[in-house]
Amino acid sequence: MITTNDRGGRAGAVLRRFSRSTAMTLLCVTVAGYLALGAASSGEFLQGPSVRTFLQYLATPILIGLAQTTALCVGQLNLAVGALGGFTACLMGILMADAGVPAPIAVAAGVVVAALVGLVTGVFIVATRINGFIVTLGTMTILLGAQYRLAGTRTIDDYSPTLRDLGRAAPLNLPLVFLTALVAAALLAAFMYGAIAGRRLLAAGGNPLAARLSGISTDRQIVLAHTLSGLLVGVAAVTATASLPGVNTSVGGDWLLPSFAAPIIGGVSLNGGSVAVFGTVLAAFVMRLIDAARAQFSLDPSWVNFLIGLVVLGTVVGGRIRQTHLEKKGTTHERTPPAPASRGQTADAALPNAGGAR
Amino acid sequence: MSEVLLECREIVKVFPGVRALDGVGLRLTAGSVHALLGENGAGKSTLIKVLTGVHPPDAGHLTWRGEQVHLRTPLEATRTGIGVVHQERNLIPGFSVAENITLQNPPSRHGLVDRQAMNAPALRCLEELGLDLDPHRLVRELSVAQQQLVEIAKALHTQSEVLLLDEPTASLSPQEAENLFQVVRRLTARNTCVVFVSHKLEEVFAISDTVTVLRDGRSVLESAPLADHTHDDIVNLMVGRAHTAAKMLPRTPEPTSVPVLALDGICTARGHQDVSLAVRPGEIVGLYGLVGAGRSELVKAVLGLDRVTGGEIRVDGTPARIASPRQALHEFGIGYLTENRKEEGVFLEQPIHRNITVTVWKKLARALGVVSSAEERSVAQNLVERLGIRASGLDQNAGELSGGNQQKVSLAKWLAADTRLLIVDEPTVGVDVRTKHVFHELLWELARTGLPILLISSDLTEVITLADRVLVMADHRIRGEVGNDHHYERMSGRIIRLIHDRAPSAVSAQQDAK
Amino acid sequence: MRTPVRTPRNASRADDEVAAPKSTQRLPIWVNQRLGLLVLTVALATLFGILRPAFLDQRLVLFPLLRDISTLTVVALAQMVALSVGHMNLAVGRMASFGALCAGFGYDRLGLPLQLGLLLCLFAGAVIGALTGWIIARTGVGSFVVTLAMDFALLGLVSLLYSALTENAAFTTRPSGLMDLRSTSLADICIGRVCGSPAVPQLAQFTVLALAGLGFLYTCTRMGRELLLTGANPAAAELSGIPTGRRILLAHTLSGLLAALAGFMAAVGTGTFRASIGNDFMLPSFLGAVLGGTLLTGGIVSVLGALLGTSLVGVIRKGLDLLGVGMESLNIYLGCVLLLALSADRVRTVVSYRKVVRSA
Repeated sequence: MITTNDRGGRAGAVLRRFSRSTAMTLLCVTVAGYLALGAASSGEFLQGPSVRTFLQYLATPILIGLAQTTALCVGQLNLAVGALGGFTACLMGILMADAGVPAPIAVAAGVVVAALVGLVTGVFIVATRINGFIVTLGTMTILLGAQYRLAGTRTIDDYSPTLRDLGRAAPLNLPLVFLTALVAAALLAAFMYGAIAGRRLLAAGGNPLAARLSGISTDRQIVLAHTLSGLLVGVAAVTATASLPGVNTSVGGDWLLPSFAAPIIGGVSLNGGSVAVFGTVLAAFVMRLIDAARAQFSLDPSWVNFLIGLVVLGTVVGGRIRQTHLEKKGTTHERTPPAPASRGQTADAALPNAGGAR
Repeated sequence: MSEVLLECREIVKVFPGVRALDGVGLRLTAGSVHALLGENGAGKSTLIKVLTGVHPPDAGHLTWRGEQVHLRTPLEATRTGIGVVHQERNLIPGFSVAENITLQNPPSRHGLVDRQAMNAPALRCLEELGLDLDPHRLVRELSVAQQQLVEIAKALHTQSEVLLLDEPTASLSPQEAENLFQVVRRLTARNTCVVFVSHKLEEVFAISDTVTVLRDGRSVLESAPLADHTHDDIVNLMVGRAHTAAKMLPRTPEPTSVPVLALDGICTARGHQDVSLAVRPGEIVGLYGLVGAGRSELVKAVLGLDRVTGGEIRVDGTPARIASPRQALHEFGIGYLTENRKEEGVFLEQPIHRNITVTVWKKLARALGVVSSAEERSVAQNLVERLGIRASGLDQNAGELSGGNQQKVSLAKWLAADTRLLIVDEPTVGVDVRTKHVFHELLWELARTGLPILLISSDLTEVITLADRVLVMADHRIRGEVGNDHHYERMSGRIIRLIHDRAPSAVSAQQDAK
Repeated sequence: MRTPVRTPRNASRADDEVAAPKSTQRLPIWVNQRLGLLVLTVALATLFGILRPAFLDQRLVLFPLLRDISTLTVVALAQMVALSVGHMNLAVGRMASFGALCAGFGYDRLGLPLQLGLLLCLFAGAVIGALTGWIIARTGVGSFVVTLAMDFALLGLVSLLYSALTENAAFTTRPSGLMDLRSTSLADICIGRVCGSPAVPQLAQFTVLALAGLGFLYTCTRMGRELLLTGANPAAAELSGIPTGRRILLAHTLSGLLAALAGFMAAVGTGTFRASIGNDFMLPSFLGAVLGGTLLTGGIVSVLGALLGTSLVGVIRKGLDLLGVGMESLNIYLGCVLLLALSADRVRTVVSYRKVVRSA
């Protein structure tokens, strides 16, 4: 039985852990940055319309960051995030504008197609054991071609006004698309933390061999991760279609880099096994803040990429330095050397690249 | 006669280049502790993996309570009633203790993890081990010993009828190990069969009822009562004494010459305290210790891969600071044959000749760093012949060779470099008896030609066969030194006593170094 | 998960000495990947030539095709060098544009002659590559993340510099010789009466140099071997006395240098130095290297393969274009080619693995 005292202690421990986490740092940075921007714009930035624009363009970065997080949590990469998003957006646009499909059906079809593409990618990776990097590079190429074939050189903008209105709707200055992204993030967090399927995903990413010994099929987890990743990209495509003035071949073209930047800044490890939904969302906030600041001081848009690059570099290098520092401290206290995570050595040795579709 | 739970006959398992299991039989009866013994590489871990569905056997039968079963996945094995603690760390670092313990069948409601329901069984398993641990803590925050205990708790949770423990005490303190043995006894009282794999024969004799001994992938003693056998019988069966009693030409190291390598009071960031040793020309110095005693870590620190925090390293009598294995090789002529052949020793996907000549490219290189391919091949060819490496050609990938031949390739690269000191770490792990013998002769001959060798081994026979002096290491300290008289019974007794005598007795070692 | 392997029960005992494989695991020559690529490329070129005779037009089709192939081969080589130590360089394109920026700056502001500008460009690429390699070797952070961040940073930096240094975001000053380099072919070089083919651009000289240089590096020298072994198994390499940190630095420096060279070639090809150079380099860099037989995990490279892989992609692209398939939807076919080629390769590996197990 757990007493209230215990619970208080545990809550304290959770709080302590949180206070030292990446998410806490990001939260502070976000709040401070936001307030600083507000001060710099003499309060204008804190007012309704500005908040609304700020959040409006935050939805897609959050969703693609989450899509990448999902792939990363089993140690996979998804290079096709942008291409799949663009393809799905164009598909929905075409369905609505040219084929006259009603908006709800078109949206549903788009999301399903995106998830299916993710599923096929995952199955392909598992079946052929080709590195996921290369496979998603291949699917990215194919999807880019498909997107172009769908949309050609035109911009599709005569689709459902209802969807447009929903995309622009912002009760209490909170855009619906932003709320959609938040709901997706909350669902993903709940799935990863609470659902058996989500825990299996993380277990397979954290220690594939151990997961396999506990009866968790790492192959299935890889397929599931890619499917979920595709699903989230599909949702991102919906928010993009709803809030953009029109869709064309340029949609998704600049999604790839931010999709990696958000999880990496948010504290997700590229080796799999960790997931940081809150961190990813906050990292998207930070990147959006940089963009907003750039607009505020009317600087060249290129500053954004430059700064994000530095932030990513700073995050990983800083994290690494802290880790080695901790390890050094750890070894002086603890005499027994920490066992190196012997990831899948013995069982995997049986077949070249067995566990490693990564 | 109690009920036979699991029986296997004529189990065969083949990996590329090696038949890991070759006709193994085993019979496990309810309510007994069954010891599974054998030297490193004899096939114990492979057998356990076959029994738990990790590797499907290539041939042979498994019967569970008299009915034939096919265990294709670990989950099937668990459902059948076979639980296991593997040698490798099999915990998810980012999960809590409770979640790791219940990983195989987490309590759930409508597909959602029920974290409350997780704690009770986790606490019960932890309590059974006498372990006071908060089930909410993340596994990555635990110490190695705690993680090991959590793994055992995890195996307890599946409530198996057969529980396989692969080296469960390797990183436990004597007190923790004793707790574990009590649990084992309680389990057998409940009619569970516990299979116990350990290198520590005292432990085996203390708790086991029956024993199976594997050698070279075969069972040389099958499910026999342990009481019928003495300590020595078992050791003889494990090592196959017939092979080891070979005649070798005598060797006379000079005890007075300047040591090629001397460590004086070395302390490292890994926790080594006051380690002193000396290796003289023509001498084989054995460094014996159990897995986890810190032997390889010591060498890696000396080679500059880890921080040395105190003491002095002397090469040929002059104090030296070694910053990297490269410097150790090219400036001081020290070669290190690693114990971890597949990960640190050979380049599996590279041809043999590159594997061998990697250490001498610097010497072979001419203007612009050009290395003549012909010269490279002739160096490699020489060594392939000298060591009797069985390969179809120099272009064959090292990964396609058998374990013993891979190890020879790994050694060949240091012989090519013509080092002045060789540090050999567990040279015959996972190597069959015949190659092992060849290796012993080889090392002996090398020492006879004047090459000093520091032999790290947890194989007592090996150390007693080869070494002139044996240093015993435990818990990152030198516990003492024994001059070798090559008499197995006397020597093994002394060495084992040194390990278990926990009082610091590094005095003799220090005296010797000075 | 695992391929189940059955062996006959009465198979002879695996004595260590007996277990030595009886035959080499080398595959027969007709499955050689590079030869396959060559045959496929030539066959496709012939097919396209028959279907559309215009494909074989030396000046209008083959010349630009070979110019593209020359540039993209260097890009693939830049990636290959990074892959040889088991790393990736996601910033190839941006390093190329950074190199081109420096060359353009040299010509426009410093008035450098053609050769010196090229040197400046190569130097800049090498420096940026070395910085990347240094960060990776020093911190131990994965090359993927570091080069990704580099890509971001350079993407911003290059645009910033162009807009700060030029009026319309491009350097248009062309030093003497640059236009010649762009349009001359071997037909302009005559020895007596015999002139070269008008299909081969002179720009290809850089590619040939790069190919020869890397071929020499990887097959003949100590450095090349050490690069490969670092990629094959970093831990074993370090313990065998290879300074792995320095080799990683070297690989990334070379990668940056080659990327910059490709950037220069692309700039010469289009005639202007602008930020968009290198935008579409990432995909061809992996396509060329991986199709050519370079392993993503490091340790095995194929210099010639990079050329052949790139050529195959170039021929397919151009041929389908002439057949009227839209330029962009070509990507669909290219993606399929990549996945099919690698699946075939994978099947081969599994087959040879089974052979090894059977022989045991």
